[in-house]
Amino acid sequence: MTTPPTLAERLDRAVDELLGGAAPGVAAATAGLAHADRSLIDAAVSVRASLASSPVAPRFEARLGSRLSGMGASPWILRHPGRLIVTGAVGSAVGVGVTAYAVWRSARRSSGPAHRLLHR
Amino acid sequence: MSVERRGDPRATIDPDVSDVRAAQRDLAAFGALYRRYLDRVYGYCFYLLGDHHDAEDATERTFLAALGAIGRYRDEGASFRSWLFRIAHNQIANALRARGRHRATPLDGVSVPALGGDPAGLVGQAEESRRLRRALDTLADDRRQVIILRFVDGLSAREIGVVLGRSPGAVRVLQHRALRDLAALLA
Repeated sequence: MTTPPTLAERLDRAVDELLGGAAPGVAAATAGLAHADRSLIDAAVSVRASLASSPVAPRFEARLGSRLSGMGASPWILRHPGRLIVTGAVGSAVGVGVTAYAVWRSARRSSGPAHRLLHR
Repeated sequence: MSVERRGDPRATIDPDVSDVRAAQRDLAAFGALYRRYLDRVYGYCFYLLGDHHDAEDATERTFLAALGAIGRYRDEGASFRSWLFRIAHNQIANALRARGRHRATPLDGVSVPALGGDPAGLVGQAEESRRLRRALDTLADDRRQVIILRFVDGLSAREIGVVLGRSPGAVRVLQHRALRDLAALLA
């Protein structure tokens, strides 16, 4: 003789359905949840909508990928190598810009007094 | 999604089994598992540690430990991902122990980038999300872990049982209690 599923088991089945993409009403009906237990499904829907997965920073992904590659894992470990290339390119461009500006400022400062002396 | 084994609806065939076997023969194949689980392991660490830096640290330790131990992994009723999350669970416990207290910041203070949509809808969604995370923060540790592993990482009750060292039945009861508490808090 089989025992009927407990409320916790039926709720788990309903959560399975929800996570599989079923509408809340369908998930509750499929799992055999009573209307009185609908608040549990509503809470599950809120949790599902609110707890989005948090994105991993590309630099962290690259650093860890590089460490794992060093231990023997595939060198093609990055999921978005293009994103890293773009990040690197932008970073380099900013670096070059800042350096050029610093050189220009420094040159201007050092030539400033001489320039003023010439016009005295 | 997992595939059910014939005759036992609770047992499932591990969808990662071929990649795990490939990685056991040649570590270079571990990259596929890394790409598949990086976000999920990071999400688990992030929601429990409440800090991006600590989450990155725990995620890094998890994957380094997994790569180092992949040769010893045996499919004895526990899926690869439950094994991987068990390692993450231990790394989080170590981080919390080292910190000497629980989460650095409550989940309420955690910001997660919103997806696209109309601004009014996004504001409402953000407020709802804040309310939920505040409520989640009041749950007992084991209930919160079950909710995160189930809803953020998509693990089954059986897999969560492996991660937390509980029976699947106990995990279902924890999930029920957690959702009942959240329903009361959100009402």
